[in-house]
Amino acid sequence: MKNRKIEAAERRRKRRERKKGGINFRTVGALLRKGKEERRSMFKAGQFDLLGFLLRVLLAGAIVALFVIFFGRFVDVYVAIKTGGKTNLVARSNELFTILYSAVFLGMVVGGVGQLGRELFTADDMKIYSAMPINARTLFVARLISIYRGQLVIALVAFTTVNATFAWRVGTTVTFWLLSIGSCFLIPLITIGIAAVIVPLFQVIKRFLKERYFLMFIVVTVLLGVGIWLYSIILSGVKQLLLGDSLKYFFSEKVMRTIGNVCSFLYPARFLANIMTGQSPLESWLGLIGVAVVGITLSMIIIRSILTRSLQARNQGSSAAVFHNSVVRGQTSKFSALLKKEFLHIFRTPSYMFSYFSVALIMPLMVYFCMDVGSSLVVNLVGLDCQLELAIFLTVLFGALTNIFCATNISRDGEMFYVVKAMPISFRTVFLSKIFLCLIVTVISQLASAVTLFAAGMVGPADAAFICAVGLLFGFANIAVATRYDFNHAKFSTEDDGEIKESSGTVSIIIVVGLVFSFVVGGLVFVLKLLSQLRSFEIGYLTYVLAGGISLLAAVLSTVYLFFRLKRKYYEFSGGGI
Amino acid sequence: MTNDPRLTQPPVVAVVQFPQPKPQPRPQPMAVQPAQHPTHRRIPNAREVVSVKGLCKRYSRKAPWAVTDVSFTCREGEIVGILGHNGAGKSTTLKCLEGMLPFEKGEIKIAGYDIRKQAEKAKSKMGFVTDNHATFVKMTGLQYLNFIADVYEVPTKVRLQRLKELDSVFQLGKPIENLISSYSHGMRQKICMMGSLIHHPKLWILDEPMTGLDPRTMHAVQEFMHAYAAEGNTILFSSHALNTVAKLCDRVVLIRKGKQVDELDMSGIYAQNPNFDFEEYFLRNEEQED
Repeated sequence: MKNRKIEAAERRRKRRERKKGGINFRTVGALLRKGKEERRSMFKAGQFDLLGFLLRVLLAGAIVALFVIFFGRFVDVYVAIKTGGKTNLVARSNELFTILYSAVFLGMVVGGVGQLGRELFTADDMKIYSAMPINARTLFVARLISIYRGQLVIALVAFTTVNATFAWRVGTTVTFWLLSIGSCFLIPLITIGIAAVIVPLFQVIKRFLKERYFLMFIVVTVLLGVGIWLYSIILSGVKQLLLGDSLKYFFSEKVMRTIGNVCSFLYPARFLANIMTGQSPLESWLGLIGVAVVGITLSMIIIRSILTRSLQARNQGSSAAVFHNSVVRGQTSKFSALLKKEFLHIFRTPSYMFSYFSVALIMPLMVYFCMDVGSSLVVNLVGLDCQLELAIFLTVLFGALTNIFCATNISRDGEMFYVVKAMPISFRTVFLSKIFLCLIVTVISQLASAVTLFAAGMVGPADAAFICAVGLLFGFANIAVATRYDFNHAKFSTEDDGEIKESSGTVSIIIVVGLVFSFVVGGLVFVLKLLSQLRSFEIGYLTYVLAGGISLLAAVLSTVYLFFRLKRKYYEFSGGGI
Repeated sequence: MTNDPRLTQPPVVAVVQFPQPKPQPRPQPMAVQPAQHPTHRRIPNAREVVSVKGLCKRYSRKAPWAVTDVSFTCREGEIVGILGHNGAGKSTTLKCLEGMLPFEKGEIKIAGYDIRKQAEKAKSKMGFVTDNHATFVKMTGLQYLNFIADVYEVPTKVRLQRLKELDSVFQLGKPIENLISSYSHGMRQKICMMGSLIHHPKLWILDEPMTGLDPRTMHAVQEFMHAYAAEGNTILFSSHALNTVAKLCDRVVLIRKGKQVDELDMSGIYAQNPNFDFEEYFLRNEEQED
C-alpha cells in the first residue's frame, strides 16, 4: 500500500516535470547548492587570498575611474555637437548609449560564450553529471542561473558606470536610475541567449583547432594583432579628445549622419538606449523582452540537442593527434630536456599559448601604436621632445604586462612539480630552465620592439639598443620575481589536465608590481627630463644613467630574491594546495 | 630518532602468531601455493638499497602525524610491499622516500645516499610511479620517455634498446606517438611505468601499481617484477591488493594509521606454513587493532 503511494507520487512528480519541459527543479536546486558550497569553500581560512582579492578590486577600480574621467570628458564634447545648427541632447544621448551599450553587449556575449563553453562543455563535474540521471535541460538551467548571476554583476558594474557618468555630466531623473538598474536584470538574459546560440559554433572551431597548435597560434596571434590595431584607433580618438577641440571637427554633419544610421541598426542595444532616453518606451520594452525570450528559447533548444552528445564525445576522448616522430632522438642535457618540456607545455595549451607567446609577439605592435599616439600627445601637451623617455616607459610597461604569465611559472606545473622534484635534477636547473625560456621570449619581443621603434624612425639606433637592454634587464627582474613569488605561493590546479583556468592573487600582485615599477621608472626619467629642460640645465646622460642604473639594480636584486634560501625551500616544498 | 627495538635486529622477521593449519582447509582464493612464492630470489650478502629509520611526517604543524616512526629496509633482489588501509600513510611514506615530500624526523637512505643530503645521487638510483600516474599530458608518449631518459642521462643507443624491451612488456604500441592527454587511465599507467624504468633503476618504487591495468598487463607486470628483482634490483610498492602482495613480496610492511604495526617475512612464513592465508591474517589483525 505504502509502496503504491510512493510510486504514484513519483509518477505525479514526473508528470509535473514533463509539463515544465523536462526541467527537474529539485535537481537544479541541488546543483546550485553544490556550486554555492564550492564558492564558500574558497573563502575558508588559508584558502582565501585577501591581498590578491583587494588588488584585483583596486585594479578594477582604477580601470573604472579612468573610464569615468575620459568618458565624462567625451560626453561633454559629444552632447555639444550641433547638427543643422543646433544641439540635440536626446538624439546625442541615444547615439552615445546605443554605441556604448552595444560595446558592453558585445563584451558580455563574448564573455558568455567563454563561460558557457567552460561550464557546459569543459567543466570537470560535467563528466560526472553526464553519467547521472540529469537531463540536458536541467543541467543547462542550473548552469544558466549561475552564469546569469555572474553576468548580472558585470551588467550592474558596466551599465551603472556608463549611466552614472552620463548622469554626472548631463543630469538625469530618478526614473533614469530606476530604469538603469532594472534593465540590468534583463540584459544578461539577452546576452546569455545570444551566447548560447554562438557557443556550439565556437566549440566546433575550438575542436578543429584543438590539436593544430601551429595553426591556432597563427590564428590567435593575427586576431590579437587586429584587436590591438582597433585599440590603437580608439587610442588616437582619446588623443584627439585630450588635445581639445580637434574632436569637434571630426564630428562633421556627414559623420553624425553616418553614426545615426549605424545606431539605427544596433539592436538590441538600441532598444535599451530608447528606454533610457524615453523614446518609444513601450515598443522598446516589448522588443527587449522579445529578444530575451527568443534568445533563451533558441538556446534551450540548441543546447538540449547537443549537450548530451557533446559530453559523451568528450568522455570518449579526443581524436588522438599522431605525431610521426617515432625515431628516438639523441641524448640532450637535463636543462635542454626541461626547456623543451616547458615549451611544449605552453605551446600545446591554448590559453597559455595565447597569454604568453601571442602577447609577446604582439608586444612590439602595442609599443609602436602607443608610441605613435603618445609622442605627438606629449609634444602637444608639454611642448617637449621626450621620445626616448616615452619609449623606455612603454617598453617597460608592456614588457611587464607580457611577463605577467611568469606568475604561473610554478603553479602551472601542477602535481608534475612534485614529480620533477623527485627526479635527479638540481633546484637550480629546474628554476633556470623556466627562467631561460621566459628570457628567450623576452629577448625576441624586446628585440622586435626596439627594431620596430628604430624602423619607424621614432628613436635612433643607439637609443633603440639602449631601450632593448633596459627592457631585457627589467624583463629578467620581472620573470625572476614572478617565478619566486609563485613558488612561495604556489597554487596547483585541480583540473584534470592541470590547466590553470582562474587568475590567482599572485598574478594580481605581479601585475601591480609591474605597473608600479614601470610608472616609477618611466615617470622618473620623464619628470627629470621635463625639469631639466624647463630649468634649462641639460644633463645629457641623465635618462641613460637612471634607466640603466635602476634596471641593472632591479636585475641584481631580483636575482638575490630568486635564489634566497631557494635550495632549502625547494627541498622542503610541500605546497600547491593539492 | 626512534628507539624501536626492531632496528637493532638485522634480519627483519616479524613476531607473528601464525594461524594454525586447519584440518580441512576450505578453498581460499587468496591462499598462495608455496611453489608460486619466489623464495628462491634471496641474494646472499645482498646490500641494503633502502633504509628507513624512524620516519615521521606531518603535513603542517597543527596537523596530526601522517606517518610515525616507520622503519624498514629493503635489500638487493627483494620485493617489499607496503600494505595498509586507505589513508594509512603508505603513499606519504613512499613520497618521502622519493624526495617529493619533506619529513620532520628520521633518516632515509637510498643505495647508501641520504635523500636529504645527497638528494640527486639518491634519486638517480630510483625510478618511481606515483599513485595518480601524473605525467606531462601535453607530450606524446615518446616525447615523455625521451624527456625522462634525458633527465636520467640514458645514452641514445641504450634508450632505444630499453624502449623495445619495455614495449614488449607493456605493449603500448602505436599510441606511444600520441599525446598523453588522449590516453586512457591504463595507458597512462603504462607510460608512467615505462618512464620509471627507462634508466633501469636499482630501486623501483610503485604506488598502487596494479590499479587500472588490464589482466594481461597485470600478469605481465608481475612477471616483469619477478624478473627485475631476480636481476638484483629492488622493488618497493604499496598496494591494497592482498593477493598481489602475497604473491609477489618477499617482505611486507604493515602500516596502520601512520604507524608501522608489523613486518612480515613472507618467504619465511610460507616456508614454515605453506597454507598460510594472508587475507585472513590481515583482516584478523585489523579487527584486533580496532
